[in-house]
Amino acid sequence: MNNTKLQEKCLQLRKKVLEICLKAKTGHLTSSLSCVEILVSLYYGNILNFDSQEPDSPNRDRLILSKAQASPLLYAILADLGFYDKEELNLFAQKDGIFGVHLQNTVPGVETTAGALGHGLGLGAGIALKAKMDRDLWMTYVILGDGELYEGSIWESMKFASHHNLNNLVGIIDRNYLCTTDFTENIVELEPLEDKILSFGWNCITVDGHDVNNITENFERLKSRPSRKPTMLICNTVKGKGVPSMCYDPLNHGIAPRENQTDQAKKDLGL
Amino acid sequence: MKTQRDTFWDEIYELAKKDRDIIVISADMGAPALDKFRRDLPSQYINTGIAEQNSILVGAGLAKEGKKVFVYAIASFLTLNCIEKIRVQCSMMKIPLNIVGVGAGFSYPDSGPTHHLIEDISIMRALPFIDIYSVSDSNVAKSVAQSYKKFKHSTYIRLERQDFGNLYNSPPSLTSGFQRIIEGKNKLIISTGALVPQISQLLKNNQLSHGLLDVLTIPFNLNDFKELISQYKELIVIEEHFTTGGLGSLLLEVLNELQIQTPIKRFGLSPQHGYCYSYGGREEIHKYYKLNLEKILN
Repeated sequence: MNNTKLQEKCLQLRKKVLEICLKAKTGHLTSSLSCVEILVSLYYGNILNFDSQEPDSPNRDRLILSKAQASPLLYAILADLGFYDKEELNLFAQKDGIFGVHLQNTVPGVETTAGALGHGLGLGAGIALKAKMDRDLWMTYVILGDGELYEGSIWESMKFASHHNLNNLVGIIDRNYLCTTDFTENIVELEPLEDKILSFGWNCITVDGHDVNNITENFERLKSRPSRKPTMLICNTVKGKGVPSMCYDPLNHGIAPRENQTDQAKKDLGL
Repeated sequence: MKTQRDTFWDEIYELAKKDRDIIVISADMGAPALDKFRRDLPSQYINTGIAEQNSILVGAGLAKEGKKVFVYAIASFLTLNCIEKIRVQCSMMKIPLNIVGVGAGFSYPDSGPTHHLIEDISIMRALPFIDIYSVSDSNVAKSVAQSYKKFKHSTYIRLERQDFGNLYNSPPSLTSGFQRIIEGKNKLIISTGALVPQISQLLKNNQLSHGLLDVLTIPFNLNDFKELISQYKELIVIEEHFTTGGLGSLLLEVLNELQIQTPIKRFGLSPQHGYCYSYGGREEIHKYYKLNLEKILN
């Protein structure tokens, strides 16, 4: 897909995520919207190797969405790519549906059950280490929320991945600066984040997390494993991107638009 | 006498020599037998440092991709520090991981309550799809290691650190999940782990006629258990564990499920005593918790 098509796909998925969350009256809308370009780049930018007809194909790249609250987005993408029937999205987090607000590994194309934070990076490090041990060529990608970085286990895993030179592991931080109740820098400062990650022995690149072209270029480069060490891509994003009326307000975390926000949210996205 | 942990790791070493998919992850926890493992099989040995949560996560990642993983650390940290990681990876995702902890009960008598492990049966048995192997001597350690290929899902293998001699002459069967050490009559003492050889010795020394049952796995086979206890008039559970949720609690649940009326007495550690800062050996700690084995048996 070229850049224009990728951008169109981003808009299409934003609309779908809003639809899903409105229908279910639940789902982390704003957390999903902040990482649209990241996931579109991976799935539509010719980065991830996957087979929707054989989701467990041994040679697939492994994607762990550790910030599992962005599940409406991942579920929409997997439906769009034919991992399962698109109709399933109409039952998101409802009776007889196959998935809910967080992630479950029983859904075709979903690697891990997740929802408890601080798991994905260590799990991804183990998966990447297996690939190294057996000289498998596939890559492992782990998408972390910045709020997740408060979990101590993330930093245990960070040290480990660097020590073992897991350059087949790419970490991605959806750096939207918002946590559950406040901005990260008001809660407990995460900055200077890049310095912290570098000091743990990783490469670290900060990019505009809504520039799908730039993100894709970085992923392409990392596939060739230019460094011995693992790389963390800090993607500066806006929580709720695409729905300006719900951005920059911490209290819009973890919800579908409230009744009084719905019309404006639809208008924002042209739905 | 070789310790439980050295016996266990020696067996895993022999298996790992023939199977390069066997991986040992240590949270910087050693054992003489592991020195040999890391020297001879360095590509199958990973030291995460004292980072138990990461050791579980990395182990789960390796196991998810088909490796046969044994994660090893001091048991209280590997269970209690990692419980939510274990819950998601092993119980929810059913990734088969072998969690090997050394230090059951008061295995570290001089280390203070941070190293006493007196809640793990209660906590680990609350999680589905994890079998507990409670090891009472080196032969049992050998049985557990030898049967790892038959494990259906994740395991928690709790090892004793001290040596109380061998109960068994050869590795016992784990099929029923328990072994009767002494048939006896009327009263059946039921215990697990390192208390079993100690109780066995006391029964002999005092020439008592009680039976003695060693619980090796949780859960265990209920039909076999029902048949075995039918000949006894009273069951007495003794455990180095808080009475809340431990072996005694489990047996109350089992008797209820089986609708058996056999009276049961439970002796363990009362939570009202909290944690113990007594030193000078296991007996001193038992005194603190008013757990007097001789008195109970007599």
